[in-house]
Amino acid sequence: MDEKKAAQIKKLETESAALMQKIREESDIKKKQKLIAEREKKQRKLTAIRNNRILSREAKRDLVAYSFIAPNFIGFAVFTLIPIVFAFVLAFMNWDGSNEITFVGFDNFMKLPSDTFFVAALKNTMIYVVGTVPLTMIASLALAIVLNQKIIARGLFRTVAFFPYVASLVAITAVWSMIFHPSKGPINYLLLTVFGVPQENLPKWFSGSLVLVTLILFSVWKYMGYYMVIYLAGLQGISAELYEAGSLDGANTWQKFKYITWPQLRSTTFFVVVMLTINCFKVYDIAVMLAGGSDGKLSTSATVLVYYIYQNAFNYWDLGYSSAIAMVLFLIVLAVTLVQFRYEKKLEA
Amino acid sequence: MKKKVLSVLLSATMLTGLLAGCGSDGGAQTSENTADNTQTQTDAAADTNTDAAAETKEDETQTDAAATDANAGDAAGEAVTLKWAIWDKDTTPYWNALKEAYEAANPNVTLEMVDLGSADYMTVLATELSGSGSDFDVVTIKDVPGYATLVSKNTLEPLDSYISAAGIDLSQYGGVDKQVTVDGSLYELPFRNDFWVVFYNKDIFDAAGVDYPTNDMTFEEYDALARQVADPTFGSQIYGTHYHTWRSAVQLFGVLDGQHSILDGEYDFFKPYYEMVLNQENDQICRNYADLSAEGLHYSAAFSSGDVAMMNMGSWYISTLISSLANGEYDSSLCGNWGLVKYPHADGVEAGSTLGTITGLAVTSVSANKDAAFAFVEWVSGAEGAKVMAETGNFPALMNDEVAGIIAGLEGFPTDEASKEALSVSNLYLEVPYAENVSQINDILDTYHKSIMNQEVTIDEGIASMNEEVGKVLGQ
Repeated sequence: MDEKKAAQIKKLETESAALMQKIREESDIKKKQKLIAEREKKQRKLTAIRNNRILSREAKRDLVAYSFIAPNFIGFAVFTLIPIVFAFVLAFMNWDGSNEITFVGFDNFMKLPSDTFFVAALKNTMIYVVGTVPLTMIASLALAIVLNQKIIARGLFRTVAFFPYVASLVAITAVWSMIFHPSKGPINYLLLTVFGVPQENLPKWFSGSLVLVTLILFSVWKYMGYYMVIYLAGLQGISAELYEAGSLDGANTWQKFKYITWPQLRSTTFFVVVMLTINCFKVYDIAVMLAGGSDGKLSTSATVLVYYIYQNAFNYWDLGYSSAIAMVLFLIVLAVTLVQFRYEKKLEA
Repeated sequence: MKKKVLSVLLSATMLTGLLAGCGSDGGAQTSENTADNTQTQTDAAADTNTDAAAETKEDETQTDAAATDANAGDAAGEAVTLKWAIWDKDTTPYWNALKEAYEAANPNVTLEMVDLGSADYMTVLATELSGSGSDFDVVTIKDVPGYATLVSKNTLEPLDSYISAAGIDLSQYGGVDKQVTVDGSLYELPFRNDFWVVFYNKDIFDAAGVDYPTNDMTFEEYDALARQVADPTFGSQIYGTHYHTWRSAVQLFGVLDGQHSILDGEYDFFKPYYEMVLNQENDQICRNYADLSAEGLHYSAAFSSGDVAMMNMGSWYISTLISSLANGEYDSSLCGNWGLVKYPHADGVEAGSTLGTITGLAVTSVSANKDAAFAFVEWVSGAEGAKVMAETGNFPALMNDEVAGIIAGLEGFPTDEASKEALSVSNLYLEVPYAENVSQINDILDTYHKSIMNQEVTIDEGIASMNEEVGKVLGQ
């Protein structure tokens, strides 16, 4: 035992000496630092062996640190990391949850373009995102600017604007279904009586091509309060001196907005747009509640990607195919977010 | 280096954590079950009155039961607990009735019911049975698409050998067993069988001075009758018919001729029925689909509000109507005077052909007590189970004159002869017969049914899409 230990010590000593020699000869400062770090490691190991300790003091310190993050990380790994990695793998497999998993390569992805329901879901999701993101951003910015002024009952109005976000989705979709009811709803009643739209041409808000418009309107209304709060925080971070200086230079309201508010809010806008985009791609609950009818099933005019993922996974038990669709959704969101980050960086430079 | 070792260590801890998690999960489940079990026991103890009633019933069936017991042989004696998946325990009276009757006849068996809820029962059940760790012995099969899923996941036990060993005559189920046979094997035995009839409101017909519908109507006669009795006057509107938003309520008129099925892949035979219903909708003979779907109106609310003259619906609605009228939930001045007739039929097709939907019991492939589980399945789907079902106002799969008599004799069942006669079915076609890809076919037909009924597409376009998409699924 001791002999072995002595041999180990000797080996480490010679290695460390050789490293020392190398360090002296090395001229490149970065490489030199690396070698020094390596030698230090060897030295630490050496002291650990000499002092009859299994773990060096540093290793012990590291272990304590890891044990602090372990509870959180284990939860994250079990419920998030492992399932995500598993989903990536499953996209190339064929599995129904019970029988054996078989590898199918890119078959799941090859099926996608000819799948009418996937194409419809992709198209609808895209339209929804393109419609919802800019509208919500504009609406929430406008609300924030108005409610940042010194107006009467400002707190009340802020609460009112935030209310749809707090209210239960199920309850407010029920209310929307009543308001937009194709034959008894007040909206269509107004169109009929005030605007003279003939009864047979009254819009059916929950079917056909209009259903996406209804979905977009609903999400803008529901989520603008939340993003308004973020914009309000951003607005309050803008120094009043800038506006004062602007006034002295004779800037009008529009110029103040264009040259002070908008550039100062850039990082807020970036955050809002990224969060909105990601959230919009995940749309599922709103579509099912508003357009799902009594059985919660979406027809091709309203189907969205997440709904189709769910359907494939838990109705048809084609877990591989549904993972492949999830992968497509992931890649789209990743690509869009990367483009946004790059654009933001370009503006910063 | 050290970091690598540590990360390996960490992931090892994570994995053990994962496994430990699974283990303790199982533990929690069993303790939950025992809690559930004691609950049912106290329930049973509290209900001494019903117990006594059940016992008198028991005496009548004792001789039959003794016979089956003798057949089952070794089933008696050893104590067995069977875990049984069901839905809506509190609102569905027959689960407890079946449990009590079976436990009384087989004292060694304890049934442990696990309520998975009705809304997404088959999805939850499929998830429960996925992978290992499930300990269900008997599962209730709610619909055929879900059945197809469970069979393809190899979670159900083929019952053929048990059926032949027990000497069960499948012809007693009137051929529905053939519609759920998978590659020559049967994985469930039906115990409940609902079929579609036309409910009508006699008061509306009386007020309009129109004759009641009959048990022998062609679709033309049915359509004419609906138009005769309907009154589109705003404010006091009377609808001649009502079609619930399910595709079965409209599309499946087409399969009654026995020559077509939803598994065909060619759906041009739906066309005349879509035309009939959409024309009725446009002439305000029935409520329009877009409205129904937006407000999510339930068929029971539609019929009980007293402005619907005729409604095609499953026979399960009979027991709802009877009990809701009895406890005052429905206003009997609006819908208390109701009747039943058989489904209308196409020209040249025998009257009494209708759609059906079966509920079955299956034995899981992981069950440790397959023989005891099958003995229970056999009992429920057999004559004794049928009697219990009929006494709670439900239609057993095993329909005979005695059972029909029990239902027609229920308090609150219409007293006219035509309603009693409407309970006899000549041909029963399942709403969804078995096929491997039936879930997908079902969803495709649902999707385009929605599009057609919302008038997003024309009938021809919708049917063409059905043909194309189902063709793809069948071609796989």
